[in-house]
Amino acid sequence: MAGVNAFLGGAKGRLLPAALVFRYFASALLFHALAWIALFFAAPTLPGFVGGLGWPLAALHLVTLGVLVMTAIATSLQLLPVASRQTLVPSHWPYDLVWLAFTIGVAALCAGMAIALPALLGAGALAVTLALLLYLFLLARNLYGARGMRLVIVHGWAACLSLLLLVGTGLSLAGAYSAAPVLDRQTALTLHVTFGGYGFMGMLVMGFSYILVPMFALSDNPAPRWSNLSVTLAIVALALVLLTAVDVLPPRLFALAIAAGAVAFLIHVALMLQALHNGMRQGLGKSFVLVRLGWAALAVSFFVALAWDYQTPSALPPGLFVVLLIGGLLTLLLGVLSRIVPFLASMHAATGMRRPPTPSGLTAQRPLDIHFYSHIAALVLLLLSLLSGTVWLVRTSALLGLVGALAFGVFFVTAWRRMTA
Amino acid sequence: MNFSTQTSHALHEDHRAILDLLGRAEQALVRAPRGDGARTPDLMKLMAALGRSLEHDIDRHFGFEERELFVRLSEAGDGGIVALLFEEHEAIRAVAQELLPLTRAAAAGTLDGAGWDALKRDALEMVERQVAHIQKEEMALLPMLDDLLDDETDRQLAFDYAAS
Repeated sequence: MAGVNAFLGGAKGRLLPAALVFRYFASALLFHALAWIALFFAAPTLPGFVGGLGWPLAALHLVTLGVLVMTAIATSLQLLPVASRQTLVPSHWPYDLVWLAFTIGVAALCAGMAIALPALLGAGALAVTLALLLYLFLLARNLYGARGMRLVIVHGWAACLSLLLLVGTGLSLAGAYSAAPVLDRQTALTLHVTFGGYGFMGMLVMGFSYILVPMFALSDNPAPRWSNLSVTLAIVALALVLLTAVDVLPPRLFALAIAAGAVAFLIHVALMLQALHNGMRQGLGKSFVLVRLGWAALAVSFFVALAWDYQTPSALPPGLFVVLLIGGLLTLLLGVLSRIVPFLASMHAATGMRRPPTPSGLTAQRPLDIHFYSHIAALVLLLLSLLSGTVWLVRTSALLGLVGALAFGVFFVTAWRRMTA
Repeated sequence: MNFSTQTSHALHEDHRAILDLLGRAEQALVRAPRGDGARTPDLMKLMAALGRSLEHDIDRHFGFEERELFVRLSEAGDGGIVALLFEEHEAIRAVAQELLPLTRAAAAGTLDGAGWDALKRDALEMVERQVAHIQKEEMALLPMLDDLLDDETDRQLAFDYAAS
């Protein structure tokens, strides 16, 4: 590894050392397993959960912060410099510090939520904030110096601003448990969910999809006219949510924000499906089945949000929207990770061998297949358990999810071991 | 992918052509019987085409990139990506070296069952390596040329490549 790191990790290179990126992914996969365990303990209170400290909140944040944001940090810090043609920060300590503070912070925050200990939650929230602000600086630096990829950069800046709102509202919500809220709870919660799920994660996922989907499918970039319309509508939607939440605009415009967001996302998905259809490389396997399922769940989440806004279906359980949004993002991201891990590993495995291993040579297919079926079954059962209010279905879902998470962990460790062999 | 230089376009079209050929070869070989089973004339023609591509296109395409682009990219401070792509060229050449005599024998109808199995294994490895390599070039190398080449150099390189 020393040889490859010498040129890949050099000040003028664009690839981070494998150990650094894989450390982020390993932490994400550990939190992934912990999230399903936390869900198992959350089962009795989950069907009627509407907020407050406890296992459901811990499970939720193990997924959102531990898996989604952790992976988003690693992917964006690695992918942006390559895609936008610029050099990395010469020293690696900022990346190490972000990882360390974020990992410790997420662990403390979620433990504080699970056992209802506000002091631990507050300490975790501060560590997470420190890590995210440093990450924000690194991301903004990459975006500021970027050349080309204008569409990705616009998504990136929108994600940056969303992250600021996510952190601010998160601190306000965490502060509420120590009697120090800044915003009223409903406003903070609306902004936290919207700018975390759709703003930060959604904009990053859409932005990077414009790089990764055409790359894996080897297709032309989507038509700028439509992709520009999609990103414009997405930004308008986020702005409308912000302005209605702080009472600058009347609340009835919230529905317009959801509709604009839904149209933006549907245009994006249509462009991605077109890229997959027209690509030089067809048949991208189960990983892209997960990606498509993630897109479907996210699309449905907009309609559930809209139904809620009109307060029509009181029968819809509160957790349904969250599972569609977070489960959709998680499914999409795991699908992409199952492609990226062997791809990155094969790049780093090129240690001067004449024939270094191929991505398929680094892939343990059976664990990946186990994860595929377990993950889908777990999410379907979780949705059914919420609709029926059945505790044992939540527990079965959690156990299946855990099996899938462990299988994905085996796939990841295998790729790492074969890469470093 | 959308590129602004003529050189990028020329390399992109090459990628498209090689992926088309490799895709057809992959599908045909996956469908073909194992061991001593009978092979269709179409499959043998396809192997002949694959052999010609291995013999001429790899050297032409890789040689041009290494001679004209990698040096410029290294001088511009992109040695990391260049080293990675060069290692992949070497790996693909190593597979091609094994695969070429097998495709010739297949086209001539002199390949036995074990030979066909070896050809299939090597061809599928070639497909995977080429796809992963082209993905990286399309994502990283070709966009860099937009910054690296001025109009005059771009025109000259595109002309030289077309003439080679």
